[in-house]
Amino acid sequence: MDFTETLKLAISAIWAHKLRSFLTLLGMIIGVMAFMVVFSVLQGFNAYIDEKIAGIGSNSFTIQRFNFEDFKDTDTIAEAQRRNKEFTLEDLEYLRGRAVIMEKIGAKAGGNRRTLKVGNETMEDITVDGAEPIIGEIENVDVAQGRYFSDAENNNSMRVAFIGTDVADKLFPQGSPVGQEIDIRGIPYRVIGVRVAKGTVFGQPQDAFVQLPLKTYGSNFGGFRGGRYLYFLATAPSDALFKDAVDEARNLMRQRRKLEFGEKDTFGIVTPDAISGLRDSLFGTTFIVILAVPAIALLVGAIVIMNIMLVAVTERTKEIGIRKSLGARQNDILKQFLMEAATLSAIGGLTGLILAKIIGVIISALFIQTVIPWYAAVIAIGVSAVVGILAGLFPAWKAAQLDPIEALRAD
Amino acid sequence: MYRFMENESGTQPAGEQVVAAGAKNLISMHNIWKTYQMGVEELHALRDVSFEVAKGEYLAIIGPSGSGKSTLMNLIGCLDSPTKGEYWINGHLVSTMTDDELARIRNKEIGFVFQTFNLLARATALHNVELPLIYAGMRAGERNDKAQAALASVELGDRVMHRPNELSGGQRQRVAIARALVNHPSILLADEPTGALDSKTSVEIMALFEKLHAEGNTIIVVTHEHEVAERAHRVITIRDGQIEKDERIK
Ligand SMILES: Nc1ncnc2c1ncn2[C@@H]1O[C@H](COP(=O)(O)OP(=O)(O)OP(=O)(O)O)[C@@H](O)[C@H]1O
Ligand SMILES: [Mg+2]
Repeated sequence: MDFTETLKLAISAIWAHKLRSFLTLLGMIIGVMAFMVVFSVLQGFNAYIDEKIAGIGSNSFTIQRFNFEDFKDTDTIAEAQRRNKEFTLEDLEYLRGRAVIMEKIGAKAGGNRRTLKVGNETMEDITVDGAEPIIGEIENVDVAQGRYFSDAENNNSMRVAFIGTDVADKLFPQGSPVGQEIDIRGIPYRVIGVRVAKGTVFGQPQDAFVQLPLKTYGSNFGGFRGGRYLYFLATAPSDALFKDAVDEARNLMRQRRKLEFGEKDTFGIVTPDAISGLRDSLFGTTFIVILAVPAIALLVGAIVIMNIMLVAVTERTKEIGIRKSLGARQNDILKQFLMEAATLSAIGGLTGLILAKIIGVIISALFIQTVIPWYAAVIAIGVSAVVGILAGLFPAWKAAQLDPIEALRAD
Repeated sequence: MYRFMENESGTQPAGEQVVAAGAKNLISMHNIWKTYQMGVEELHALRDVSFEVAKGEYLAIIGPSGSGKSTLMNLIGCLDSPTKGEYWINGHLVSTMTDDELARIRNKEIGFVFQTFNLLARATALHNVELPLIYAGMRAGERNDKAQAALASVELGDRVMHRPNELSGGQRQRVAIARALVNHPSILLADEPTGALDSKTSVEIMALFEKLHAEGNTIIVVTHEHEVAERAHRVITIRDGQIEKDERIK
């Protein structure tokens, strides 16, 4: 019997018990679906981080108060808080004055949540932060309307603001916001530009913010302390000089802090590599834990399929006897039941995949863009078919071994 | 149909003489025993049975219940192997064959007709008749033509897409006969073919058997009904696993 013949037979046998086949496959469907959803979210998250890194520019890095390692546990956090002093504008001047490899160096300050007012319209809990004009170049800020800050606006602590589209849409529903004023803590700021929308990531809107020139922010909100901590962004002139630029930043900061040889850094430098590294260490374990759950569902699914195939063999003993009396060999019977098990679970895999795709579309709309790579889909269906074959092996072998006379006697 | 007789038989040196004897005949049984081990006791369902059947014969096997008819029938049909003895069918020594070799012989040489029809309930008449051809490895188009023709020859050309539960008992048995004949076997082997049919339908089926015999088919019928046995040209009576009588009646 050839492949298509066997497949046709398998499909008609499965179709003859539609409901039972579906119930049998539930475990399989859920397993594959869970696997694909988790996988696609992780893929989407990866893509997001990659995009983020690309957006910052692969030649740029951050110099900040803490290192990733400082967040290992409460002891290291406490120690870092004691040792690592907050950054100051003098630190920035020190770096700028001595840098020869680093190309651009700019400062930003952590955000505060404030209430915005325009006429009677208010928006609560909106992030307000500060940035130097050069940040526009370092971060490749995309301007939708107007422009980014100028040096004069920063140096003179002028009351101007660069805003996100959520703020623009809510507070200025009609006309362009550029040139209009927003009131924060009783002080009016003139809008000079709007950033291109970025949507939401994990339900976090990316476009509900107001950015002020760094010095304006510092003087009007009470200095660069606590949540308004200063941090610096720097770039290397080329890929080749990236490592040298990072080393330069580190050495200058160590000089500035007068650290002895062998003493630990009292600041942190975060490179795109470090971000990918963090992601890898984070997802390494998460991956295993998260994928273990669908694997168990798959195992349960396989056992259920084996059980239903054993039932099918018992139910169809007579059929097996008839087929054998007409010349079916052991191999023909074996193939018939293996094909049935494999087709059954491949259908389960495919259904799971389709459901995962649907859920993926919903997640993409609400949280983060999900991705199901084609190879993952192929693997999902392949794995479920293999699981089906393994689960069907014993029942099919039992069927093939049946004695034709005994089998014909069954009813 | 005799394509195996001349050449293939020579490949078994040990059975050379038997082959020579068996070559004239379609079926050749030599000192066949079938013994079942029942705990410590041995139960001889067949003891030292020997007979020959030539091509074109119409043979009935009769005997009381428990005499060994079905056991013999299973051996003739290659569904089972004897405990002792040699069995040749159409030049093949089947008594020592493996399960898969037996399956091939069943597919090629035997057409079964069972008392309870043994059709696949979910399949159409056409698909049921196609089954032996599927296992013979025939392509779909050719298979379909042959199955249609076989159904037409038992006057069921207008019922090909019916399932067994949409057919009468006599029609079902005719589907089974079409299935038995579709691969042109050497022997048509029927076990109580009219046992599940009323007398009128039985007569029809027996008439069909006679027609098939007239067309040159070799037929062996196992039965306990004398009316059925009387139609045959030769009757073997078995009792307690032994041949009691072997008589030519026509
Ligand atoms: N698988 C088996 N195991 C043990 N004994 C068996 C087996 N099959 C048949 N027998 C025995 O062999 C003997 C012959 O049985 P068989 O079925 O051939 O009889 P039969 O002539 O077909 O009878 P009936 O007309 O009732 O069908 C019986 O005594 C039966 O009990
Ligand atoms: Mg019997």
